[in-house]
Amino acid sequence: MFEFLFNYPLSVYRKGTLVFSSGWSAALLAAAVIAAAAGLFWLLRRCRLPGRRLLALGVLEWGVLALLLALLWQPALSVTVLKPQQNVVAVVVDASASMGLEQRYQQARQLAEGSLAAELKKRFPVRLYLAGDTPARVEKLPETPEASRTDLGAALRQIAAESSMLPVGAVVLLSDGADNGGNLGPETVEVLRRARIPVHAVGFGSEKPERDVEILDAELPARVLPGSRMLLTVTLRQSGFRGQTAKLTVRDGDSVLAQKELRLPGDGETWRETLALNAGKAGVRTLTIAAVPLAEESNKRNNALERIVDVRDRKPRILYFEGEPRWEMKFIRRAVEDDEQLDLASIVRTTENRFYRQGIRSPQELERGFPSSVEELFAFQALIIGNVEAGYFTPAQQTLIREFADRRGGGVLFLGGRAALSDGGWQRSPLAEILPVVLPEKKGTFRREPATVELTRAGAESLITRIEEDPEKNVARWKALPYLADYQETGAPKPGATVLVEAVPGVRMRHPLLVTQNYGRGRVALLATGGTWRWQMAQDARDQSHETFWQQLLRWLSGSVEERVTLLTSRQTYEGGEAVRIRAEVRDRNYLPSTSAVVSVNILGPGGVSDTLELSPSRTEPGVYESEWRAPRPGSYLAEATAREGLEELGRDTVTFRREDGAQEFFRTEQNRELLERLAQQTGGRYYRPSEAGGLAKEIELSEAGITVRETRPVWNAPAAFLLLAGLKTAEWLVRRRWGAV
Amino acid sequence: MDMRRQLALVLAGLMLAATLYAFQRGYGSIRRLFPESDDDSPPPGAEQKTEFYFARLRYPNVRATGIWAMRGSWTVDYPKADRQFLQGLIRLTRIQANPMERVVDLISDDIFNYPFVYVVEPGHWDLPEAQAKKLREFIDRGGFLMTDDFHGTFEWELFTASLNKAFADRPIVDIEDNDPIFHVLYDLDDRVQVPGIVNYPFHKTYEYDGIEPKWRAWRDAKGRIAIAICFNMDQGDAWEWADNPHYPEKYASQAYRTAINYILYAMTH
Repeated sequence: MFEFLFNYPLSVYRKGTLVFSSGWSAALLAAAVIAAAAGLFWLLRRCRLPGRRLLALGVLEWGVLALLLALLWQPALSVTVLKPQQNVVAVVVDASASMGLEQRYQQARQLAEGSLAAELKKRFPVRLYLAGDTPARVEKLPETPEASRTDLGAALRQIAAESSMLPVGAVVLLSDGADNGGNLGPETVEVLRRARIPVHAVGFGSEKPERDVEILDAELPARVLPGSRMLLTVTLRQSGFRGQTAKLTVRDGDSVLAQKELRLPGDGETWRETLALNAGKAGVRTLTIAAVPLAEESNKRNNALERIVDVRDRKPRILYFEGEPRWEMKFIRRAVEDDEQLDLASIVRTTENRFYRQGIRSPQELERGFPSSVEELFAFQALIIGNVEAGYFTPAQQTLIREFADRRGGGVLFLGGRAALSDGGWQRSPLAEILPVVLPEKKGTFRREPATVELTRAGAESLITRIEEDPEKNVARWKALPYLADYQETGAPKPGATVLVEAVPGVRMRHPLLVTQNYGRGRVALLATGGTWRWQMAQDARDQSHETFWQQLLRWLSGSVEERVTLLTSRQTYEGGEAVRIRAEVRDRNYLPSTSAVVSVNILGPGGVSDTLELSPSRTEPGVYESEWRAPRPGSYLAEATAREGLEELGRDTVTFRREDGAQEFFRTEQNRELLERLAQQTGGRYYRPSEAGGLAKEIELSEAGITVRETRPVWNAPAAFLLLAGLKTAEWLVRRRWGAV
Repeated sequence: MDMRRQLALVLAGLMLAATLYAFQRGYGSIRRLFPESDDDSPPPGAEQKTEFYFARLRYPNVRATGIWAMRGSWTVDYPKADRQFLQGLIRLTRIQANPMERVVDLISDDIFNYPFVYVVEPGHWDLPEAQAKKLREFIDRGGFLMTDDFHGTFEWELFTASLNKAFADRPIVDIEDNDPIFHVLYDLDDRVQVPGIVNYPFHKTYEYDGIEPKWRAWRDAKGRIAIAICFNMDQGDAWEWADNPHYPEKYASQAYRTAINYILYAMTH
């Protein structure tokens, strides 16, 4: 309709500029229009008509005159158009696996080799390209889309590069927009804009998923201690199965580690589920997290994800310093002695000047009590500070404890006691900074009074406090624990701290009991009691709640402490051809970033793949060394980094990752219309539905890329102008008739 | 009644009177040197809540009939020994201890609030099955029992008769000199037999056939000492009479050191 009324499509008006074919200036036209208005005023002022009628007649007649004058000037549109048959149109067809869904590829192929191609070929030579793993120019499209990933950016960059030797007028992109190549960023758009190549995108596939349950993500800790509980967080999305139930399973090979019944929420909703898993024995595990497919699901290949967990057999050392003999110490020692992954050394001040040491590795170790040197303290991964006043430690030792958390990345646990926290003057010590609470400025905060315990909402979610598998039973179990022998007022938790457990000494009385927070590279926890031993003495000897709690707390405190060398990859899984970004964080003897290390990485992979590479120091981060590597074949890879400073080896670390080809193609498979529209808009093109693609050929003509010519297209003869003229005169006639003047 | 029978009765009566006189005379002389204290009022600070309490076990006695049942063997040296020992414990260590003992039994569950329990004269205890099992539960949860002041074969057999009702799965063993319990605080390599006051003037230090002092133990599944058995010795008397010039200092000193080590061991193992 627009084209009928105005001679050309709207895009011509958008891209063209208004000119007058008569050659007369626009200023002259404006002067003539003003003169016409003045003449009319002079003529009509003699008429004895009421003011409003006079004004209406004047406007209508002036409108006719102005329009006639404008037509006399012969308005036209000046547009840049591609020279016929001299510019190439690149048709890019997404041939990735996701195009196989919903007959997307068949529709695209029909357009690219059928109707659209015929239209385009009338005006332009057409080149066909495939966008998939790697871009390729083809004469004929393959029967089925089989590329394991969608790299639209690489294809567009290739076309932009070819445009320097070839007049590329436009790109027609036929895709579902499910790009996972990672090359469609601002740089690619900028390249296209510099070459002035508009991208016209035709989008395929439904914009909302239909009848599908999809696992979008699964988060697991990359490294855990053997036998640890680990929290799996799964992000899911569903459409079309609202209110139905599904089953989520976690498998390690054939054995099911955990499963959960899911009640599916509203359509299109994304939600998260958490499962607690036991890490089991040491080794690298590949876990499959799957939502059992429902009948009539449109895409069953997005129901499962794989994640790698490195169950690392190491034994972090924990140093427990106790200011006086307490039952808590005995029972903590007993609780963790069966845990093969924890090594607890302890010192207790038995008299004013005597220590009793347990768990030491040599008669000299900790001989002088609490460590005063980096070498001695940083040999531990975690530290428990019991019932001891702050002033017992020298300023140097206090600084060392802070550095232990901040620089070393160790875990520090503070316990309650009659000489601990506020009663021990800790609120005025430099270590108050690392505590997860703001200690009150008063004495008498420690009370040998019974207090029951309750989990907070965060505690109900936490694995530290999971003594029953079932989360609801766990909350009830905590409420039913025997009362603590004592508790201590802690003050308010700091911003960023998490209260997991509260002590409830009476009705309407609650105090934070277990509070955690991260500090620097490390972790800090506060357990404001010295009386959890009653959980052991006041329950059946077979009850394991006391042991489980302490093992989990100390594993959390010490289990993820990093050593001098930490090796990381940017992700766990990569597609073929993708660069694996390898990064090592290296610290020297004093746990300061090492800038003079030599870091080499050995990589072992499937089918005897073996490679060695040297990492380069980062330009922006001291102590960080990085490199990129491409996995030659699908499968699991193990990388081991060794860092040296001169002849001294600083440390080693390993990391595992996988190459999985094609897996991403079946996730988030709905059409990414937003991406296609944005790409088209940023490059001067347009987004089309497949049904609208017929108009593409005309649109493509208006391009500033390739070989172009400037055309002047008259608009004075557009039907709309004559209709407007007729409309103005008809309106005048109708007005006069109404007034009885005709 | 014939003459012979009358004579026998008279002789028997004279012998009994002579024995009673001799016993009364000897015992009386010891009691003059070691007078019983009748002050059992709570010591200052007894009301405060503390980390450590010295808990004394009240148990049924094998001779719990007649005049022996009036007090029971569990009360021997009570409460002076306990309180006098606690003064030493408070003065010599950093343990926050209550200056007054507590009495626990194996009937209520209160014993589970006191992980260290002292029992005197277990050579006279007679634990019913249920109480023996409760004692085992106490040990299995992490409790520690120190036994003291029983002597000779006869009392050992009575002691083990009750103990074996719940602890027969593992043997009672002698504690090696290098065991941590003898070195937690004090090094107790050179130990002597600690005599009771009945041994006054301490020319001999043993009672009955308990000539040799034995530091024995029942160890739990992890090898930790859970029941420390002081056999053929009397730490309680040593604590009780440590303030008496007639009781030799070397015995009192060792009794204090032994119990302090045992308590520190109980609080760390």
